Amino acid sequence: MNSATIERLKKIVGEDNVLDNPADLYVYGSDSSVHEALPQVIVRPKKVEQVQELMRYANNEKIPVVPRGSGSGMSGQVVPVQGGIVLDMKGMNRILEINPQDGYCRVEPGVVDDDLNKALKPYGVFYPPTPASSVVATIGGEIANNASGGRSVKYGAARDAVLAVKVVMANGELLSFGSTTRVSASGYPLEKLMVGSEGTLAVIVEACLRFVPIPKLRCLGSAKFNKLSEAGDAIADIMGSGCQPSMLELIDKIAIIAVNKANNLGLPEVEAILLYEADGMAKEMIDAEIERIQEICKKHKGFDLESSYDAKERARIWAGRAKLFPSLSKYDESLASTSLADDMAVPFSKMAACADKIHEIADKYDLVMTAYGHCGAGCMHTKILMDTDKTVSWENAREAVREIYEFVRSVGGTTSAEHGIGLSKAAAFKKEKEASLELMRAIKKAFDPNNILNPGKLMDGPDDWVEETELRYQST
Amino acid sequence: MTDLSKLEKWRSALSKCIRCGYCYDQCPIYKETGWEADSPRGKLILLYGMLSGEIEPSDYIANKLFECFHCNRCEKACASGVPIQDVYNDARAFLVESGFDVVGTTSRTDHDVCARCLNCIRMCEHDARKFIDGKVVTDVLKCQSCGSCFDICPECGVTIQRGFGTNPNELLDRVDAFLNDPNNPEAKAIVFSCGYSSYPGLKHAEFDDFVISKEYEILVTACSGRLKSHTVLESLERGAWGVMICCCPEDECEHGGSPRVKERMKNLTKIMERIDIDPKRVQVFEVPQGNEAKFLESTGTFIEDIRALGPLAPEAETVGSEK
Repeated sequence: MNSATIERLKKIVGEDNVLDNPADLYVYGSDSSVHEALPQVIVRPKKVEQVQELMRYANNEKIPVVPRGSGSGMSGQVVPVQGGIVLDMKGMNRILEINPQDGYCRVEPGVVDDDLNKALKPYGVFYPPTPASSVVATIGGEIANNASGGRSVKYGAARDAVLAVKVVMANGELLSFGSTTRVSASGYPLEKLMVGSEGTLAVIVEACLRFVPIPKLRCLGSAKFNKLSEAGDAIADIMGSGCQPSMLELIDKIAIIAVNKANNLGLPEVEAILLYEADGMAKEMIDAEIERIQEICKKHKGFDLESSYDAKERARIWAGRAKLFPSLSKYDESLASTSLADDMAVPFSKMAACADKIHEIADKYDLVMTAYGHCGAGCMHTKILMDTDKTVSWENAREAVREIYEFVRSVGGTTSAEHGIGLSKAAAFKKEKEASLELMRAIKKAFDPNNILNPGKLMDGPDDWVEETELRYQST
Repeated sequence: MTDLSKLEKWRSALSKCIRCGYCYDQCPIYKETGWEADSPRGKLILLYGMLSGEIEPSDYIANKLFECFHCNRCEKACASGVPIQDVYNDARAFLVESGFDVVGTTSRTDHDVCARCLNCIRMCEHDARKFIDGKVVTDVLKCQSCGSCFDICPECGVTIQRGFGTNPNELLDRVDAFLNDPNNPEAKAIVFSCGYSSYPGLKHAEFDDFVISKEYEILVTACSGRLKSHTVLESLERGAWGVMICCCPEDECEHGGSPRVKERMKNLTKIMERIDIDPKRVQVFEVPQGNEAKFLESTGTFIEDIRALGPLAPEAETVGSEK
């Protein structure tokens, strides 16, 4: 990038908000995925007007622009595969309004999820999509990837929470989509189109989010299973029986071993643990939910059932799920945890088969894979634990990822439940959405005719993520 | 090309970092700048980049590695088990051996001002200061950036060039910003918190039942021993109803600052009494490392006292007025 461009960008956002040192470019070239690619400059806007001016300039000069939150995505969504400008939105991190009467808040995109919930707490409300990474994830990133989390089974994902957004289009125009009202009947819901668009359509500069009351009581329980398939069947039965858990989480044996090693928990290394939560305002209703869930667990040979309303006890029960994702690196000292085939959704009735299939494919390709996730929402996660120094590991991982998503499609599932597509899931996504890819490209063109916004992602992502992208690991 | 073989042993550990970013919230440096290369994850990425030959070692990178308050919160929070401080220490030694001139957050002495009293050498718990050729110099590999030397120097000849919000003038700017925030009419008090004890972990946690009050602002001082009486009095002068200081228990304090700040505040409150300022307006609490519950309990006790006292009355309790 020439110095005139850098100088122009400094004029727009101020000298202190532009970085082009090779060290910074390298740091901003990766996220929590396996990919990397260098941007040419990092720009941190503080105001909407700066985003508008920057986009006008980038559009005229046809410079790629990749909006970025904290870079905690697992699929390479913010990896700038065509270089250009990384737009660090963390500089716009103000909570603009909390309106308890009308049940919404307005925030800038760089607000961290936990910070928002901390601010909402005195009002007795919370923003529910909250992913496990809420300590670092920004609201802008959560919207761009349609994030969700443990409680999405009851309260929904980011798409359900977004009432309205303000966006800066590729040409610099500022537009408002949606409404602050709970219902809005007419026209295309463009605010919802922004959700899951992974920064390819426009830059989100403000979001209006609905929140919900913090329930007076929460009861968390667990059940252990000697067979993963029995836990999977219990999930399908719970969700099919009319129960309304506020969380329903699965942890398999590999994940249990990893969290034991990372956190000295001493959990019994059974094949699977189910965690279930019910919440509400009346104890009788919660007791009834928990009792029903536990009956179903027993029916499917669940044992060591326990539950508690007490905050400390709930923390103890939850400890196996807390920090599960980073703990996976501790499973085996010689293996690193990679975010590959990390996220999918399948019908409840296929949950058991999906978990078994993941392990079958892992065995076939000499990899270690785990199965866990927000199974009450149909969401299954895995990670591939492998020796990242060996090229053969990557070749095996590519085949494993391909086969897993073939299975997911074959049972009516979808490529991403909540982590997004980015680069490493693009091949599977393109196969799943084959019939609508051209329509998506037409929508992209209507928003961004010069294809400057996060190019090379979603429907334009690579068919072979090993060969067509730079991997952040070196292997021989 | 610089010889990086000494860092080769950390390649596997660096691969273990899954770059989740959960360390961001733990790092006072990152929290101040918001730039990702200032975060623990960012620094580990830089080291991986150097090892893999994708970026060259530079003064810029060396300074990033030396910008650290050594609170070790990042490592404690890292569920991937990356031994962050050990990796940093070897990387720093390598960078210094390679001739990179670094400052980071390490302390520096102004030799024109230094009276050669050598108090800073005696007070340093880390053996990081030496008297060589008539000058006090800092061993950057040993300096923990705790600021004890900065605190103890009678001539104000020690500086930490980049305080990342912890230097006295930066703290007072934040005091002003909090007390004068038009959107927070509840603002009453300042909590100066040792970065080693209670700063991190205070955010909304999955199962905590706490609400952090809007009545006080938590400002991190690095080691609490760095907190000067002047900064506390200035905070009262600028409108705080009270000031709480949160330090480590003495047997946990790694930098020797805890007993100093307690003694200093004891003396300060005696003076406050003489000028009719209620000594409860300045309180010191010991909070063990990582004990957020104790921290919140302490702030609760303190803020109750402050509410009962009300604002400093201009007539009876003007800071610095003689009786």
